[in-house]
Amino acid sequence: MSDAQIHGYARALFEIARADGTLDEVEDELFRFARSYEHSEELRNTLSDEQIPAEKRQAIIEDLLGGRATPTTTQLVSMVVGSGKARDLPAIVDVLVHRASNAKQLDVAEVRTAVPLSGDQEARLKAALENATGKTLNLKTIVDPSVVGGVIATVGDDVIDDSVRTRIDQLKSRL
Amino acid sequence: MIAAQLNHLAGIVLEAESVPNDGIGSTSLSPYFAPMKEVVIGGLATLIVFVALYKFAWPAISKAMKDRTAGIQNDLDSSAAARTEAERDAAEIRTSLGDVDGERTRLFAEADSQAEALLADGRDRLAQEIEELEAKAEIDIAAAAGRGADELRADISRFSSQAIESSVNASLDDATQQELIESFIARVGAGLQTGASS
Repeated sequence: MSDAQIHGYARALFEIARADGTLDEVEDELFRFARSYEHSEELRNTLSDEQIPAEKRQAIIEDLLGGRATPTTTQLVSMVVGSGKARDLPAIVDVLVHRASNAKQLDVAEVRTAVPLSGDQEARLKAALENATGKTLNLKTIVDPSVVGGVIATVGDDVIDDSVRTRIDQLKSRL
Repeated sequence: MIAAQLNHLAGIVLEAESVPNDGIGSTSLSPYFAPMKEVVIGGLATLIVFVALYKFAWPAISKAMKDRTAGIQNDLDSSAAARTEAERDAAEIRTSLGDVDGERTRLFAEADSQAEALLADGRDRLAQEIEELEAKAEIDIAAAAGRGADELRADISRFSSQAIESSVNASLDDATQQELIESFIARVGAGLQTGASS
């Protein structure tokens, strides 16, 4: 899919969520689903398999998100998967998140940790990153076991990496 | 004695001359000598014959003799030439035999020289091949040792990495995870860059 098509889908999802008045929740839920989609090879293969009928793939989405996400999020993901664009879902969601952040004059901060952050930790981490970068941030947290421990924070092109994974990799390379 | 015999002979001759001519011919009274006239005439005739022979036949005889002498001389010369040629041929044969011996000696010497050169060349090549094989063997040994060392280092690194990862994973309980997160928040909040950043 071309960048224009990705931006077209992202703009459509953004407008639907904004019109529905659930932009913040939808954006957050789409972001989390996109990250899960990226890290699950089985999910990627299933949702992007053209041999599986679209209705069946959409039914899988209903099973996964039904009751755990807003109906708008479920319907938007189902629409993307049903149109055969599941492979581009993470890119579409990333553009959507940036569009939503820009609409609120925020910069996206992507934080990866091995264990979930508490609400208090998210708030303090957001404040700390805003203090460090001088930007108002839209914090997106991702639980990524490959981080092993610590935190990896990405704000635009800046990466603040204090993960155990990186330290282990550095130690391995020295070995 | 001799004088008596000569007188006897003279008497016989004189007696023969005293035989009268009978108109038929001269008859000598001596059984041994002809009459004087006959002797004289016969002598003259003989002289004439000898003179004629000397004048007419002698040149031809002399020429024939000279020709024969020349022929014999030619034969002798030819024989001498043939002998000389035979001696020259013999000398050439002897020389040739000498040359054959020399050539054989030279060929044997050349063969010995070539054989020696071949042996020397073979020894040189063999020595060179041995050196090359030794050098290659040393390189192979060094490479094998290097590979062994590399493999050993790789094994050590891999086992160390696995040990580190296992040790870290074992030590990362929830409290440690929270401590790491809090540490990160504190340092970022203090404006410190932590770990890798770009």
